[in-house]
Amino acid sequence: MAKYLCLQRSLPGGDLSGDKPSPAQMQGMYEKFNQWREKYQQNLVDLGGRLGAGRLTLPDPAPDGPFIEVKELVGGYMIVSAVDLDEAIRVARECPGLMRPGSGVEVIEIRSPG
Amino acid sequence: MSLALSEHFFRREFGRLVALLSRRVGLQHLELVEDAVQASLLAAVESWGTVEVPGNPSAWLFRVAYNHFVGELRRRARHAELTPDDHAMHIGDDPPAVFFTGDVQDSLLRMLFACCDEAIPIESQVVIALRTLCGFSVSEIAQRLLMTEANVYKRLARARSRLRERRPLVDEITLPQLAARLPAVQAVLYTLFTEGYLSSHAEQAIRRELCDEAQRLTRILTEHAIGSTPETFALLALMHLHTARMAARQDGSGGLLLLEEQDRSLFDQQEIALGLSWLARSAEGNVFSRYHAEAGIAAEHCLAPSFSQTRWERIVECYELLNRLAPSAIHTLNRAIAVAECRGPEQGLALVQGLEPPAWLSGSYLWFAVLADLHRRCGHAELAKRHCDAAVDLAPSPVVRVALERRLRGGSS
Repeated sequence: MAKYLCLQRSLPGGDLSGDKPSPAQMQGMYEKFNQWREKYQQNLVDLGGRLGAGRLTLPDPAPDGPFIEVKELVGGYMIVSAVDLDEAIRVARECPGLMRPGSGVEVIEIRSPG
Repeated sequence: MSLALSEHFFRREFGRLVALLSRRVGLQHLELVEDAVQASLLAAVESWGTVEVPGNPSAWLFRVAYNHFVGELRRRARHAELTPDDHAMHIGDDPPAVFFTGDVQDSLLRMLFACCDEAIPIESQVVIALRTLCGFSVSEIAQRLLMTEANVYKRLARARSRLRERRPLVDEITLPQLAARLPAVQAVLYTLFTEGYLSSHAEQAIRRELCDEAQRLTRILTEHAIGSTPETFALLALMHLHTARMAARQDGSGGLLLLEEQDRSLFDQQEIALGLSWLARSAEGNVFSRYHAEAGIAAEHCLAPSFSQTRWERIVECYELLNRLAPSAIHTLNRAIAVAECRGPEQGLALVQGLEPPAWLSGSYLWFAVLADLHRRCGHAELAKRHCDAAVDLAPSPVVRVALERRLRGGSS
């Protein structure tokens, strides 16, 4: 089983604000998430979490350089194990809340030596 | 491990947190409080799935909501949107650690009383109670009360601005004020229940929640010194006794069943028992309210072994009492139906013909349906047909139309 890094990315032009979910809808989200987690227990190595602000540091000090606010690009991460990229993508795609207008997931294989 | 949360956990927590937090910071911040609570619930959805669920979820939610509120308040203060004399400016950084059940119930109840402000129209009192205490969103309220979202939004905004004008800390509502508002609180709970009970099949499932919420809040009211009165007990009895018959009111495909067609073995015996025990408690003291009369009528229907064995004379008496306590032509119309059952259709018809119906009744299908039924049973075929046509034309929904046609056109009794 290989490991895959899943990054939640906001899509250009996407609107993440949307309508605030009501408490009843949040209950639905919570329950769906738990069902997904149960279904893919074997695949979920690290559920990760949401990412806050960050900054790109470079080998050379570049005080006037373009600082990239990481949160603009990546909203959260998790690590899953899967036999191949397709399976990893399937796990990530079914994760409630990840796939929605304005948000997608980038799935990247974590190479291990050997 | 994930925590299996109880049904409606998020909505219940919303009500609890809004009540607890606005009690501390004042009702003028109600909107900000609602936003903070919303944010804390969302944080829970996002983090409880991935990390350990806290041992005391309610306390966790309160802490997050409190911190969110304080942060937002500070931000506004920096932008000079708040005056330093605002009470909320003086709350501490640290949220209070523990709440006891009594605190929570007390806060919920004070919130309910605050919503039932006499300066807010009752329709809006219902709307703001559904928002703050029951945690329904604008669109969920609109669906349940059959209003437009714009209308719900407008009512909420006006009610909130009314509460803001008063700037009360919820604790500043005095005990005598609370007591004076009790009838208004009961009226809101009664309206809430009725909205859910009268729903037609299409919206049955979601509007049933209104009945559940009304019942839950009434129960909290019965547990509180101010609210624990015979009228409140009678109100809760009424709700249980109506709930008992809810399943029997519909056939398998969602059509409405008339009382005499209902399968009485489907009446919920547990609800009947609860209703009767609250009815017994409501008889303590010498108060007899409209809720007593209505609960009495509902109890008679629940207890009758069959339609024909119903104690119609008792029901006639209850409608008479009800009309004395809360005069309305609809009560006389209902009494006429009961009179027709025990003393014959001619007497029932005479009672209806003695009425001068107000416009809302004389233009309603109910009025024509009762007249059609009574005329038919008196053998006045021509009049019966005329009224029947009018009733069917005015039927508010297809299920009601079908039930009317079955009773008024096809019936043999």
